[in-house]
Amino acid sequence: MKYSFNWLKELSGTKLLPEKAVELLTMHSMEVEGVEKTSGIPEGVVVGKILEIKKHPNADKLQLVKVDVGLSAVLPSLLTSLPITGERESKKGIIHIVCGAWNIKVGDMVPVALVGTKLPNGMEIKAAEIRGEKSFGMLCAEDELGLGEDHSGILILSKKAKIGEPVSKYLGAGDTIIEIKVLPDRAHDALSHVGVAREIAVLEGKKFSAKGGSASGGDYDFDGLRLSNKKSKMLSVKIKDKKLCPRYIGAVMTGLEVKPSPEWMQERLRVCGINAINNIVDATNYVMLELGQPLHAFDLEKITNYKLQITQPKADPPMAENKPQISKYKTQIVVRKAKDKEKVTLLDENEIDLTENDLLITNGETPLALAGIMGGKNSGIIDDTKTIVLEAASFNATNIRRTRTRLGVRSESSDRFEKDLDPNLAKKAMVRLIEILEHTAGAKLEGITDVYLSKVKPWKIKLDLDYANSLLGENISVKAVAKILASLGFKVSGNEKVKTVEVPTFRIDARTQEDLIEEIGRVWGYEKIEARPLVEAIEPAKVNEQVFFERRIKDILAGLGFDEVYNYSFYSRRDAENCGFIDIKHYELANPMNPEQELVRVNLVPNILKNVRENLKHFEKFNIFEIGRVYYPDNNKVEEKRTLAMAAVLNNDKNADAFYDIKGVLEDLLENFGVAGGRATSTMDVPRPRLAHPGRCAEITIGGENIGMIAEINPRVLAQYKIKNRVAMVELDLKKLLKVLPKEKTYQPISKFPIVSRDISMVVPSAVAYAEIKNLIEKTGGDLIKNVELFDRFEAKRSLAIRIFMSAQDRTLESTEVDAVMNKIVSKLENNLKVEVRR
Amino acid sequence: MLEQKINDIKKQVAQAISKIKNSQELFDLEKRFLGRKSEFTDILKGLKDLSQEDRKKIGELANRTKNEIAGIILSKKQELSGAVDLGKEKIDVTLPGYRKGIGHLNPITTVQNEIMDIFTSMGFEVADGPEVETEFYNFDALNIPADHPARDMQDTFWLKQKSGEEGLVLRTHTSNVQIRYMSAHKPPFRIIAPGKTFRHEATDAKHEHTFYQFEALVVDKNISVANFKFIAKTFFEKFFGRELNIRLRPSFFPFTEPSFEFDISCAICGGKGCSTCGHSGWLEIGGAGMVNQKVFEAVGYKRNEYQGFAWGFGIPRLAMLKYKIDDNRHFHSGDLRFVKQF
Repeated sequence: MKYSFNWLKELSGTKLLPEKAVELLTMHSMEVEGVEKTSGIPEGVVVGKILEIKKHPNADKLQLVKVDVGLSAVLPSLLTSLPITGERESKKGIIHIVCGAWNIKVGDMVPVALVGTKLPNGMEIKAAEIRGEKSFGMLCAEDELGLGEDHSGILILSKKAKIGEPVSKYLGAGDTIIEIKVLPDRAHDALSHVGVAREIAVLEGKKFSAKGGSASGGDYDFDGLRLSNKKSKMLSVKIKDKKLCPRYIGAVMTGLEVKPSPEWMQERLRVCGINAINNIVDATNYVMLELGQPLHAFDLEKITNYKLQITQPKADPPMAENKPQISKYKTQIVVRKAKDKEKVTLLDENEIDLTENDLLITNGETPLALAGIMGGKNSGIIDDTKTIVLEAASFNATNIRRTRTRLGVRSESSDRFEKDLDPNLAKKAMVRLIEILEHTAGAKLEGITDVYLSKVKPWKIKLDLDYANSLLGENISVKAVAKILASLGFKVSGNEKVKTVEVPTFRIDARTQEDLIEEIGRVWGYEKIEARPLVEAIEPAKVNEQVFFERRIKDILAGLGFDEVYNYSFYSRRDAENCGFIDIKHYELANPMNPEQELVRVNLVPNILKNVRENLKHFEKFNIFEIGRVYYPDNNKVEEKRTLAMAAVLNNDKNADAFYDIKGVLEDLLENFGVAGGRATSTMDVPRPRLAHPGRCAEITIGGENIGMIAEINPRVLAQYKIKNRVAMVELDLKKLLKVLPKEKTYQPISKFPIVSRDISMVVPSAVAYAEIKNLIEKTGGDLIKNVELFDRFEAKRSLAIRIFMSAQDRTLESTEVDAVMNKIVSKLENNLKVEVRR
Repeated sequence: MLEQKINDIKKQVAQAISKIKNSQELFDLEKRFLGRKSEFTDILKGLKDLSQEDRKKIGELANRTKNEIAGIILSKKQELSGAVDLGKEKIDVTLPGYRKGIGHLNPITTVQNEIMDIFTSMGFEVADGPEVETEFYNFDALNIPADHPARDMQDTFWLKQKSGEEGLVLRTHTSNVQIRYMSAHKPPFRIIAPGKTFRHEATDAKHEHTFYQFEALVVDKNISVANFKFIAKTFFEKFFGRELNIRLRPSFFPFTEPSFEFDISCAICGGKGCSTCGHSGWLEIGGAGMVNQKVFEAVGYKRNEYQGFAWGFGIPRLAMLKYKIDDNRHFHSGDLRFVKQF
């Protein structure tokens, strides 16, 4: 909310500069989001009297104006510095101005910006020649002075304004707008000038007296108010649901005149960002800004239910063609829940459908307003309104919030009601409103109807001072605590250590001991509390294995040349279709930011593919990975899988072995965790995920547990993402992986005897997998085989070159022994697998 | 006389060696000058016939010269056997190396790791919780009941559920971990909970609907605001590697009471005022407070049995400060032109 510092100053009596007050509020009360000085009208704009108006000889739309800005004693310094020609007249304080506005006449008092003045909009006034006529200043419209939006003509000042005096003496003296972010806990008292003024007074160590100042028309004691006990004869109030409306005060005022509010009120509203409308509506807004209570005014004639009057036996039936004599009728306000599907048209012309949970202000029949949120279209104040019903009520916060959330309607009123308000505030606000309208609209109070059944009274909280100091880590004296609480309006009693604190009803938020401790802490000043180490013994922190495991994987992958990306946890329906996940149950966002982010991901790859597409614009080949969670709905329990996805993107080369590229990385990664000699089996028969290239895809299994998949991405899927390069991917379930990894590595004795190596090269039938060959070699050679390595391959002809390492633990192998094993291997390969071994 | 002879032999060797082309020639040369029948050996043999004074003087010279000759021959031998001309081996050392290509971690990972390391060194355990969370753990247990205006403080992504099913959200903070951890453990403890969080808000340079939060929670019998200030100060001084001040300002969070916003003196300018801190000398970092007793009650602790502080801040914000990143959309861009810088 925006606050006028002038207003706060008047209410709190502070002498602080705005900057100082803002600093105090920031450190002890609430967050100040902005401070802005309203420029005020510059000194160089003075009151001038129009002496003569002539047509401009060379321009139809311009006039030549002679203005008296009163030389002599008023602003000699300003005037002598002016480079005025037509010197004789200027010495008398008369200047010539070329002007384009037509609303002026001789004798008018107008604001004149003298040469050298800088206006709030940044324009600097210079002596100029316009179509051959000299001009030495400017007559100003409202907007040019920073007063408002109006640019329809020159601002005409009161006849009483004195020639030559700064216009700022009369209006637009300048203020400081302070914007404060009031959080929900303090909305009930601090969304008002009185609330913030109270804070300022407390922080200055002064007692807050809440006296209204001169601008608002005299002394005013907000807390000592008495509501007139003059009962209204014209208005009855019925509350049908006391839970949703604990209090309703209606007041009837008669004989009023609708007109613009006084300038001081308009200006304050303006500073607070509220448009001035007329003296009635402005007064309700003014009191809301001052006290925090939203108020409403109905035109009594418009809300009176004439039908109802007619049926009343003693009432005179109204003449069909004549307007009924209002004073003879009783008007009623009935606060009730809406009927299902009932409709109401609001002030903003929107017709809305209601449910039976919404609360309405009605006249017993027709809805007049959506309670606490917005007035109805046909019940408001118009220019010839003479009699009004004023409303100061109290509504259930939750209910208001539900209704306004459902309808998507928000107002200054609902903003306050939905955060709960003190029902006792309604009374103060009504008294204040009546008082102001008496001044500004000449209205007279006919009477008041106040329905308030269960009165809210101050409540008490026990406060243990030792606990307060223990929680704050400070040593604040009993006296200081009592002083702080008293200044905030709390009543403190009780013994040395345990106090009883009575909370005034305007502090709805203060309900527990801790709430009071917060008040003490913030007013005392958190900056005074000295940092203190934890005294308890530090035990070694338990290690979160999973988190640190994932961290290690990231480090290894970075070491292997993979760059880490982060993606959103969402993708589009189209992504799910493209990658073949559409049949997997997804969580859907009820309120996605856009359709691209509608589904909650069950796989990391779709977003990775988008990363690939985008990065191919800048890089030929690259490797990326992401570690993140995927989410499956599982019987209304959420299953979150911690997943690694990595992708290797190779040059745009048809023969690129993307698969083996990433398989190597996977093997390196697993070896680091003690898993060696990974095995993959592949058959085309097993159904493959659509994502995977059916001929280049395998499950990854460790110790019989399936922990993921390795594949080249299906070119058809890649085409959906306009990717022409080969992309290979690995996907691992990191929780499962951690579980199956060997806990410790075990040392294998290094053989003391030499290792012999033999190479064989062969042509392999396409149906035979390398794994089968390797298996067969290992089986045939038994313990002597230390390692089998593929060292060359020509995929096209399925030609492989293999090096076999042999050694024994207890002796040096004789070459005859080695030959024998090799012969056995070769013959098995030829016979069992139909491999053609080259000799 | 004898001295002259020895020096002459040395000169002869030096002349002869430059003409040697292979090891056979070198072998012959060695034999000629140092062999058993060489002039040099004769000189050495004749030493015993000299006077004691001459013997010492000539002996020293002869030995030194013999070593020098042996050295010359040895280096020629090495030159011939290796056949390597080291001079010709010279390369341009300024050419770039052959690179394997190191990968890069997202700066959020790096910052998160640093944070975990600092807290682990102070005895904090890393705790973890789900990212898709029930309404209860994300809101209700944290004293944010349905229909409370405080829910507006966190714009929320809701998941579609059938009517009657419990509301599910993408967690709006890592505070759900507080509840899950406390429900399963008894104080005292110190934990940190880093993780992915979500807010339903439009993305621009300063706002992002997906971000990473970090939360610390300490619960024991007598934990105070003063303790929080200590931990916060210690952490940030380690993180930024310089002395800092901590500033608490009153605020409101339903799950803490008292609550504060905390600022640190600007890590860039040290508090003098610069463009990073908007010339205020302070950086707004996050929210904190003393755990609300209602939260303790929600996890089954007795009211006023424990005291604790909870503290949270955004990891991207720290990464942006640390690396001077100007737009938080980079973190989720997947753009390697960004990632490769870290």
